Amino acid sequence: MRTLLLLLLALPALAGAEPATLVRATELKEAPATDAATVARLPENAAVEALERKGGWTRVKSGSSEGWVRMLALRFGGPGEAKKGDSGITQIFNVARTGTSGTQVTTGARGLDADQLANAQPNPAELSKMADFAANADAAASFAAKGKLAAQSVEYPK
Amino acid sequence: MRGILCFLLIVSTPAYAQFRMPSFDINKLVDTVKNVGKAVQDIAEPEEIEIGRDVASRLLGAAPLAPDPAMQRYVNHVGRWLAAQTERPDLPWRFGVLDAPQLNAFAVPGGTIFITRGLLERMKSEAELAGVLAHEIVHVLQKHHLKAIQKGAKTALAGDALGAALKDRGGAARDKLIAFGTEMYSRGLDKSDELEADRLGVVIAARGGYDAYGLPSVLQTLQAMNAQDSGVALMFKTHPAPAERLDALDRMQATLDAYASQPQLAERFVQTLKR
Repeated sequence: MRTLLLLLLALPALAGAEPATLVRATELKEAPATDAATVARLPENAAVEALERKGGWTRVKSGSSEGWVRMLALRFGGPGEAKKGDSGITQIFNVARTGTSGTQVTTGARGLDADQLANAQPNPAELSKMADFAANADAAASFAAKGKLAAQSVEYPK
Repeated sequence: MRGILCFLLIVSTPAYAQFRMPSFDINKLVDTVKNVGKAVQDIAEPEEIEIGRDVASRLLGAAPLAPDPAMQRYVNHVGRWLAAQTERPDLPWRFGVLDAPQLNAFAVPGGTIFITRGLLERMKSEAELAGVLAHEIVHVLQKHHLKAIQKGAKTALAGDALGAALKDRGGAARDKLIAFGTEMYSRGLDKSDELEADRLGVVIAARGGYDAYGLPSVLQTLQAMNAQDSGVALMFKTHPAPAERLDALDRMQATLDAYASQPQLAERFVQTLKR
């Protein structure tokens, strides 16, 4: 499990080039900014390769050109293309925990599927452990300061 | 209505003293009077917190905390900092990573938030974590689950009064209410609640000083996954499709862009969680 975690965390912001499509006609920009020069105009449903994200922009490759598009204009997976199958994470998990195949685990199986939620019994020991991990406002503020997070005043949308 | 209630209580007090009238009769009477007086009874904050604790205990029965104290404390720091930027900063906020491989997150009334280890492992930065926690915090602020529990309580309790379920924590009515409240996480909220949590969550993450694109970024990760994947099946069933949520966030573009260059803290995220 730990190996898997390390593996997943080691992945860069986007794992190599990921196939994506544009949900609307979009300008391919030279830099991640609205006022940057336009490299090309890409039509709706254009297929691109997504490379990395920076703020609200994703660097993409479209044919021979490369540039930045609005990240909100991107959807992963080609048009109508079937996505990859089951990631198998739950199976790996069950094998790791119980040493048996996921489908054979019944008694005492825990997890967050609908059945398990419906049959869940209270676990007061874990609840009190959770209270021990709680952070107070001061600790949270100094944690934020360490990360150079500055609180902003932002209005909720209407 | 309130006048009648007072009158009944005054009248019944000496009767209770003299005849040892069982107290549950009085409770039932009070409940009946209250329910007639007010179709939707407001649940006060202390009761909201108690319901939340009981529901949280059940969720922890389905999946315990991930056995990683550094991870648990880290998520609490991020979450508590975000909660401090909201209109309910003084709730007993608690954040927990559930030891489950599925990708999901849950907000429980009264300020308890869960995220699964499966979802945490798919994230790339603290800003992404902040985006998801902020979304869940909005559910608590707007009392989305509490209202849904309240709305469904009549059917769930099958005749028992909500007042009894709220007051008697050891009673059968209480059990029914909490079981119903827990099952709600496999049924999901209204779509409008989820989309509202996305919009307001973006604002709360920005208030906390994070790159506001954290939540959209997680939605893009989810959108790239197969909806039939066992790891996301329940979350996809209980939420609008990630693509639809991304579409809906278009109207937040101005806010997103204004705070897009704030820290993502990918390094701190990776360093804290890889230990």
